[in-house]
Amino acid sequence: MFELFTSMVKEEWRMHSTMFGSLSFALFPVMIFGIAFMGAFLLPLVRSTLPAGNLSLIIHSNFLLLGFMVGAFGLLGNEVMNRRFGQASFLAYSARSLPLSEAHIFFTFVVKDVIYYFFLWVFPFGFGYILASPFISVPLNVALLLLLTLTLSFLYGLCTVFFLSAMYARSRPLLMGLVLLLGVVGGLLVAFTGMNPALFFPPLHLYAAFSWVNLILSLIVLSVLFALAVLLFSPEYAGTTREYRNMFSPLAKRLSILSDPALAAKDMIDLYRSGSAIGQTLFSFLIPLAVIWFFLSLLGPYLPPHGLIFLFAIITGVIASTMYTWVTMFDSFGPYACLPVTVGRLISGKLITFSLMQIVPAMFIAAAALLSGEAVNLVPSVVLCLAVSFYAVGIMIWLTGLSPNVLVYDVKVMAIYFVLLGIALTIFSALAFANPLYALASVLLFLPAWLFVQKGKARWDAVDPSGF
Amino acid sequence: MTTILEAQGLSKNYGEVTAVDNISLSVKGGALFGLLGPNGSGKTTMIKMLTGQVRPTGGSATVLGFDVIKDPVGVRDRVGIIPEQETPPSFLSAIEYLAFVGAVRKIPDLETKADWWFDFLEFRDKKNVLCKDLSRGTRQKLMFAQAFIHEPTLALIDEPLINFDPIMQDVVKEYLAAYVKKGKTIFISTHILEVAEEICSVFAILHKGRLLHTGPVADLTARDEHLPQFFLSLVRKDRHV
Repeated sequence: MFELFTSMVKEEWRMHSTMFGSLSFALFPVMIFGIAFMGAFLLPLVRSTLPAGNLSLIIHSNFLLLGFMVGAFGLLGNEVMNRRFGQASFLAYSARSLPLSEAHIFFTFVVKDVIYYFFLWVFPFGFGYILASPFISVPLNVALLLLLTLTLSFLYGLCTVFFLSAMYARSRPLLMGLVLLLGVVGGLLVAFTGMNPALFFPPLHLYAAFSWVNLILSLIVLSVLFALAVLLFSPEYAGTTREYRNMFSPLAKRLSILSDPALAAKDMIDLYRSGSAIGQTLFSFLIPLAVIWFFLSLLGPYLPPHGLIFLFAIITGVIASTMYTWVTMFDSFGPYACLPVTVGRLISGKLITFSLMQIVPAMFIAAAALLSGEAVNLVPSVVLCLAVSFYAVGIMIWLTGLSPNVLVYDVKVMAIYFVLLGIALTIFSALAFANPLYALASVLLFLPAWLFVQKGKARWDAVDPSGF
Repeated sequence: MTTILEAQGLSKNYGEVTAVDNISLSVKGGALFGLLGPNGSGKTTMIKMLTGQVRPTGGSATVLGFDVIKDPVGVRDRVGIIPEQETPPSFLSAIEYLAFVGAVRKIPDLETKADWWFDFLEFRDKKNVLCKDLSRGTRQKLMFAQAFIHEPTLALIDEPLINFDPIMQDVVKEYLAAYVKKGKTIFISTHILEVAEEICSVFAILHKGRLLHTGPVADLTARDEHLPQFFLSLVRKDRHV
């Protein structure tokens, strides 16, 4: 058990350090610590404009989302690794070659994820806050409680994803039924009691009103989710020899007005058949933005008139830029290495697909403007959203080429990205807040975006492509 | 015969590890050239450098008159390549992958050519199956088809037979022999010495990234020597150096 656990930890570490560089990755928890420590000193300022309850809601929901993401990558990791590094596999999927039961391997895998990501994300954040707490007059027990409830939030996200995916593998109708039932029960509770739905989230409830009973109840719910996930887990992958009609040739013909229809058609088929077109739009775009809209709406009183839609447009633009990761996530240069294409040409191809996908954020922000009674600001907000998205993707391409995931854990790259993005966002949000029409000036961002893309193509053409 | 491929002092270092160390060799048109060596001897790196997939850290090379450092895309445009790992894109079917290759390489009459390959390598029943769901052997067939579908003057193949069953190995060996008879050139890397002896006209032996020997297989035959024994004695001797 312990050998398997240490091997899995080494595997996870080596995967990250291979992708992001050992030093850059090792500095990641230090950066999280620094952000929490320094961010804690801003709390007195933030509290004057944002109620403490809303702030804790935001932080706990972030750690819940982190748990979702870690869990989802753990389960999709094998597929992702195979595509990025060739014939790679995770120990979690080795039940067929090791004399260990599937439940045993999965149990160790979950324990590894919990401990590894606790020390990578949760502990540095909590520790930073604990160390800062004496300076900002926060009692030590409150800081310790935050570390506990953030850990629980992360674990709830992780175990929920494991549970839902185990259910999905066993019975899709049962999963749909369960999700529907929970939705209806939750909806009815909110409708009839008028309670904030966030209060149903045990870690948040525990943070708001600590009691040993609440803690035990939180742990029981978590243990049930975890036990069910382990019991239901099956690493069996249903192999398929399903046949598909040739979509490539007609699609490439239809896209022939574009500069590289073959690459764009391939990327679109990848997105469609991998389920990413719908899955990512829903889980990486629409749901996070719905959650963000909910939180931003709480900030309404603290923003200038019309500020909310422009702030939302900017955030939508930043999230829309991550669509570039959707078109690169399951690809490496490997399949193209035997063809007469450069990395620069591949980047151009991915950018074409990315540009076509920008119809989603454009329509989304237009709908948000209409539904929030900001029809008059529809055009400036859509322009601002798209300009931010293309500017952010330009930086991403310059910094990471075909591997935008490097942004997540490479501290140096991430810092440059945030500085470059932060400068532009500060300028254009200030302009939009001053006068809605000034948001149209964000079209200027297309120029640095184009320059970043050109520099990025030249930069990544000059180095050996990764993926061999 | 004209020189199709020429390397001068080609080297590749990965940090402090030297994968290929100062190799010079040339390949004439119409040859079936075998690059032989144990695992980790630098064969795959050599093919990657010759096809412009990785940049040499020293030396130079031209393939079909194109500089592999200055014009890697020009090289890849004119040759056929089968990489060591068969990695066609996951979510394209076999026919879609060949159509994709055809579109990138601008190959006319692609469908007829693809059909010929499906029949020749006996995998027509898999043409509409996604690449990720294909067996290793079928992926290798697909990669073989993509490398030869534009009938390149030179094809570079890393371990050409490794995933094929004995029947398909025979089909492929015959195809390669017929291909060079048409005046084309094949450059293979392999550690299966019996295959190399059977099909290659010229060979080179790499060990620890260095070139130990190069020459025609006929020279060995004339001395009544066999390639496997010659290879083993040379490599064993080099291990003690």
